Amino acid sequence: MTMPASAESIPVGTLCRRCVLPHAPPDIWLDAEGICNICHNYDREVATAPKDERGLLETDFLKILDKHRGKHEYDCLCMLSGGKDSTAALYYVKERYKLNPLVFTFNHGFVPDEHLESARRTVKKLGVDWIYFHTPFMKDMFRKIVQTKSKVVICPVCSLWYMLKTYEIAAMFDVPIIVSGWTKGQTTGGSRSVLSKCACDQNPDEFRAMSQATREFMDKHVRTDPKYKDFPRNMDEVLKIAKKKYKSKAIVLSPHWFVPGGPEEYVPIIKEKLGWDYPARSYPKKSTNCDLNFLATKRAIRDYGYSVYHIEMANLIRMGLITREEALALLETDFDPAILDDIYSKLGTPSESLA
Amino acid sequence: MIVLGISCYYHDGSAAIIRDGEIVAAAQEERFDREKYSPAFPIQAINFCLQQAGVTIYDVDEVAFYEKMYLKFERTIISHLIGWPFTFRNFLDTMPLWLKDRLAVSFAVEDELSFKKPVRYIKHHLSHAASAFLVSPFEEAAIMTVDGVGEYACATWGSGHGTRIDIRQEMHYPHSLGLLYSIFTAFLGFRVFTGEGKVMALAEFGEPDYLDKFRQIIDLRPDGSFRLDTRYFSFNKGETMHNKRFEELFGPPRPPGPDFTDRHYAIAASLQRMTEEIVLTMARHVHEQTGLNKLCLAGGVSLNVTANSRIREEGPFDDLFIQPAAGDAGAALGAASYVYHALSGRPRGPVMHSAALGPEYKDRAIEVLLRNSGARYRRLERDELLAETARRIADNQVVGWFQGRSEFGPRALGNRSILANPANPDMKDHLNRVVKHREPFRPFGASVLRERVGDYFEFDGDSPFMLLVARIRPDKLGSIPAVTHVNHTSRIQTVTPEHNGIYYDLIAEYYRQTGMPMVLNTSFNKKEPIVNTPDEALACFNDSGMDCLVMNQFLVERNDR
Repeated sequence: MTMPASAESIPVGTLCRRCVLPHAPPDIWLDAEGICNICHNYDREVATAPKDERGLLETDFLKILDKHRGKHEYDCLCMLSGGKDSTAALYYVKERYKLNPLVFTFNHGFVPDEHLESARRTVKKLGVDWIYFHTPFMKDMFRKIVQTKSKVVICPVCSLWYMLKTYEIAAMFDVPIIVSGWTKGQTTGGSRSVLSKCACDQNPDEFRAMSQATREFMDKHVRTDPKYKDFPRNMDEVLKIAKKKYKSKAIVLSPHWFVPGGPEEYVPIIKEKLGWDYPARSYPKKSTNCDLNFLATKRAIRDYGYSVYHIEMANLIRMGLITREEALALLETDFDPAILDDIYSKLGTPSESLA
Repeated sequence: MIVLGISCYYHDGSAAIIRDGEIVAAAQEERFDREKYSPAFPIQAINFCLQQAGVTIYDVDEVAFYEKMYLKFERTIISHLIGWPFTFRNFLDTMPLWLKDRLAVSFAVEDELSFKKPVRYIKHHLSHAASAFLVSPFEEAAIMTVDGVGEYACATWGSGHGTRIDIRQEMHYPHSLGLLYSIFTAFLGFRVFTGEGKVMALAEFGEPDYLDKFRQIIDLRPDGSFRLDTRYFSFNKGETMHNKRFEELFGPPRPPGPDFTDRHYAIAASLQRMTEEIVLTMARHVHEQTGLNKLCLAGGVSLNVTANSRIREEGPFDDLFIQPAAGDAGAALGAASYVYHALSGRPRGPVMHSAALGPEYKDRAIEVLLRNSGARYRRLERDELLAETARRIADNQVVGWFQGRSEFGPRALGNRSILANPANPDMKDHLNRVVKHREPFRPFGASVLRERVGDYFEFDGDSPFMLLVARIRPDKLGSIPAVTHVNHTSRIQTVTPEHNGIYYDLIAEYYRQTGMPMVLNTSFNKKEPIVNTPDEALACFNDSGMDCLVMNQFLVERNDR
């Protein structure tokens, strides 16, 4: 879709009347009715979907699982942050789908103890094997992101690293399926795209600027650093490395894409069965994301007017899983500035102005 | 023990699940894939049933299929051979369906569901019989099943005792009342499956002047069995199932469209009378042979409300139970019930008092939809909601009513319904023209308080699934024109607080406000299958002439008024 002339007069940052994305041309722009092109893209995709195409079903998930069930020491590798989504995904895999998972939690140094404790408690209750991986490997890169004043967003860069690690571990243990806790909102391009690209497509309009900044940052600051010379530039390179270097053919899936509803369904279950609860602090509210998210979100909003969480919430609104008002409340960045100071301190770099 | 029942590949693809004797869920695939009478493997209905039961396929002990496909294939092949070479075209058309789907049910179950154990195949009419008897309130009863065709059988009768079902007699293809009705449905210019109800409505406008001609093509015997004179039909041989000789007897077929002549009314009336005569004769014979005083009915012909009512009023039985999903949808439930109770010997479960076995949606899901779609709505407390809705119906507003779990079977029974004032003489035309966009001659049913049914109808008893008609009392004629058919009857649903919950309360409130113990009830749809989700309800509401929509506790107003 081409941006209409009427969009030029709309103040940057004006929110879409339907979702929570702001007017941020050229990638995201509002039409005369105040609806963004991303919402229109979504509607077009729904309207042009083949008549016989249906959404993903739980039996589709089981079909994939059953191709591999019992053929390896571990049926799948579960990525566990300790948050509600990954905890529920692990619970489903173990209890509902009766698989034997290997669980993997990474810590780049910014994961609060509370989250790690939640993960520890979950794996203990479920009696599953767990790899906990703690490394300062990414710290220099995070510091570089802040110091170079790059517009690169921390989370996509971090996701390149942890997905590469995940593939490496999957290959190491010969695990055929990687199970994440990604929500329906963390997918782009509909169900066909989810299954063919493992939801790792970061090329839609709403990600374009961030992806471009990531590539530029990689070329300019990362690849030139001997420590990170082999670091992938994007998710396509992650997949290539996984395939060629690690010989991993593992596919990435989230049970949340295949079962109806969302947290309102599974949070009560994990609370009851695993004693799970929301952490004291995390961004967005009711999430269990690492502390870097506070900084990443503030910077992304400064540079783009929105963050990856705005994209996720916008998706959830379009899918009818959350109201716009609820999303706006969850996305409020009214967190304590002391948290940011703490992160800067850990990074060993002076605070920036993030007004 | 958990048993999953499945029907598909002809029409009414459906799934049902029984857990520890209880029917936990049942749904038709059409509600999900939005294709009326969808024949598809009911993958979405199955997913719903499993999730409603809180299990996955790994927890399911048995999968039951509603017919024996190889036996049916055998009959099909024999039928083609008998008519060869005139059946060649039909043979070419149908064989791919057999080879791809119908003979590969086990593969589909394994591939689509990852269910590795053998599938239990239950004969088609036994599935129907089980769907009627094993969920009925009767410990023992006679059973009658009548439909188009299963494997060979087109109608059966027998008896049920506890968890045992004995089929004692079968009537075989092509001597089928269901097929006969469908042949005339097509002959009268309607689509098979969707048009049978229209023929039934049309019948009341004419006199059965063609009964003698029907007796020429049907040889009805004292036991209710009959033989069609196959010289008048062309099964598997061409575009239509009737032939030239048939047209010499009944005249040319009616082309689709709005025009009807007295001949069309008379043929429909004669067909209907013949149907009633056959099932009534059959019921009398079954009673005589079994000596039982209660009767269970299933099979597509049991959706014929006039015939059912004649069995009830003129037949020898004291009580009736009719499976609400009497067509092949219910056979999925029947197959599951048969495996659970009859084959596994487990005791009978709760009686099927309600057809509300489909999906339901929480307030939150509805409010998210309403907020995000910019709908004009209010959340009301229960009493306020009932009072406001009743007032609007009394003010001649047409109300979309979406509550609780959707109904299993073809009838909307107060969970996915459109409601209106039965006393308004213009309401029938308004609904047919503006809301439902359907033929003007089609009548609407009434949902009436069970304890007040006798106030308006010559009827005393239960009709919980709207599968019976009742004659309107002479002193009430003209008082409920929107639900009065041309023959002064009405298709009725009796509602009770035990089984209809908030729907009963609404009609009770309507009665309190107006003195009228009933509302007009028609299915919540417009051409497409009955709405299933709040999104579909809102879309149907916005695209129709309904005045307001009630979903759970939310009252939605039109944005364009």
